[in-house]
Amino acid sequence: MSFKKCRDLILGIVMLLFSGFYLINAFQIKTRPKLTPSYASAQIMPVLLGVLLAILSVICIVQGIRKMKTADGTEEEGKKKDKGDIMAVVFTFAVIIGYILIMPTLGFILSTLIYLFLQMIILAPAEKRNYLLFAIVAIAFTALVFVAFRIGLQQLLPRGPIESMLGF
Amino acid sequence: MSTLQLIGGGFATVLTPTGLFLMFIGVAVGIVFGALPGLSATMAIALFLPVTYAMTSSNAMTLLMALFIGAISGGLISAILLHIPGTPSSVATCFDGHPLVRKGQAAKALGVGVVFSFLGTIFSTVLLMFIAPEIARVAINFGSYEFFSIAIFSLTMIATLSSGNMVKGIMAGVIGFMFSTVGTDAIEGTARFTFGLTTLKGGFDMLAVMVGLFAVGEIIGAAETSRHNDEEVTQPSMKGVKGFGFSVKEFTDQLWNALRSAAIGMGIGILPGIGGGTSNMMAYTVAKNSDKHAAERGPLGTGRIDGVVASETANNATIGGAMVPLLTLGIPGDTTTAMLLGALTLHGLTPGPLLFQNQADVVYGIFAAMLIASVIMLFMEFFGLRVFVKLLSIPKYILLPCVFVLCVIGAYALKNNMSQVIACLIFGALGFAFKKLEIPSTPFILGFILGPLAEVNYRRGMIRSNGTFIPFLTSPISAVFLAIAIFVILLTGTKTLRAKKKAAKQ
Repeated sequence: MSFKKCRDLILGIVMLLFSGFYLINAFQIKTRPKLTPSYASAQIMPVLLGVLLAILSVICIVQGIRKMKTADGTEEEGKKKDKGDIMAVVFTFAVIIGYILIMPTLGFILSTLIYLFLQMIILAPAEKRNYLLFAIVAIAFTALVFVAFRIGLQQLLPRGPIESMLGF
Repeated sequence: MSTLQLIGGGFATVLTPTGLFLMFIGVAVGIVFGALPGLSATMAIALFLPVTYAMTSSNAMTLLMALFIGAISGGLISAILLHIPGTPSSVATCFDGHPLVRKGQAAKALGVGVVFSFLGTIFSTVLLMFIAPEIARVAINFGSYEFFSIAIFSLTMIATLSSGNMVKGIMAGVIGFMFSTVGTDAIEGTARFTFGLTTLKGGFDMLAVMVGLFAVGEIIGAAETSRHNDEEVTQPSMKGVKGFGFSVKEFTDQLWNALRSAAIGMGIGILPGIGGGTSNMMAYTVAKNSDKHAAERGPLGTGRIDGVVASETANNATIGGAMVPLLTLGIPGDTTTAMLLGALTLHGLTPGPLLFQNQADVVYGIFAAMLIASVIMLFMEFFGLRVFVKLLSIPKYILLPCVFVLCVIGAYALKNNMSQVIACLIFGALGFAFKKLEIPSTPFILGFILGPLAEVNYRRGMIRSNGTFIPFLTSPISAVFLAIAIFVILLTGTKTLRAKKKAAKQ
């Protein structure tokens, strides 16, 4: 069964679980009954929201099941639309997380250079991968941004070996 | 101080060498963001926020308003030349814009689009200058009851109207509201949903949430298609073009159409939840239905300037409209104005009726910036067109990584540490998931922003009324807004049901 077909059902179930989790925590909020009456406590809105989301989730689940029953004929169409580039998304997520993890130690300049270069390779179609161009763009853009923000706008950026070498 | 003095003061604040320089930059960058499909006005403002941190609030708002105006107008370039709307605001511009290009009238289409974008902005800004102070004067007497109802009204409008699926729209709004409850409670001071983490005590930062959801989510989403997307740009021929490429007769023929479209744009801008994406379509439809020249000139959609005029006047007039609730009540109607709200808050300004009393200079500075920026836009977009068209050919695989780096700097600068960068990434992942599940992200953002307004005013109102809800219903203004909210929900609900029954019959 394709993802598109049972999407609403999955969404409804996830949201129902989330509303349960939210409600459990909402009931644990410490209120101050002496300070504010119960009808205006810090708990009232979270409880209302949790209940509202639970109701919406149930509607979503019912709609999802109905859609699954009727959507047999249209599946072909859905498949075509769903055919995106999943690997590019996974790699993009990976380099972004890597970028954020290495930035505190390698500093802004070095980590940005590496990130830009890798990300362009991931996003570019195979026949348009021009490594020299990507390297030049990565260096030029990093330099431009560093000068503009660190020197021009005095904005602090994570420091690393290159920043120490340059004396920032 | 008289209104005239205030307006003069506004121009004086903005018309400095720095102010003019910022407006030039803002309009130029805005046009580029508007023209490039996938980049939007919201993103342009998000990326430029860190640049404004060190500026005065007037300079910051000058830059951001210039970006806003440039970005809404810039969408027409790609709509006409590429047949791809650069922003949702210029979808209807494609309908007649591209047929005009095929007839060899690219310069005329662009000229008309640019000039009527300009007129739309001017029209709505002038109206804004007269309407907003009056509304602020009335709103100054609003209390908890009124603000609660206005917040609920705005939320329902956004949740029901901004997406095709009402259940998902409301769901997104509720989840956004839920995220806003994280942190220290504003009234009782108790911790809510912080799970013992100190970083969560202050709640989620509005800007980190927005940059994550819109910019980062957008970039991850673009990764899916960027390897297969190649768009050809037609270079327009400017040979032998005089003035703006159309005759005086053609201009005067369009005045009534333009006025009607501007009024539609302004009205839709004022209502929360339906912004430029709707106004250009609606103005186009009205122009098409009331067209008297269909027989002799062919119907709209075959390359008539009427279509471009309707769409471009309306979407730019929406800007002035959207500024009305933002400035007078502190209520953003769409994501772009939500960004502007974030920017104002960042600079220590609280939009709302008091802003007109306490910081009138900033308010009138914004008005002046809107007027001057649209003049800059008019000339820059027409005479600098070749440059913008060149920029359209920058491939996405180079552009998007650079945009992401700017997002990271912006998030880092919020607290000068990595915490907001991480938050930004989490909301980016959420934005991507929303996209895949077809949940609209606009109600999420507005639930996040308007939620606290609704909650605090509800609780304050309940304390004031000793625990009864009746004053919310007996205060006339509050009652009207609540009634409209319920009416909109019922109307959308029955509409959906009827459509389903119809589909079932077939």
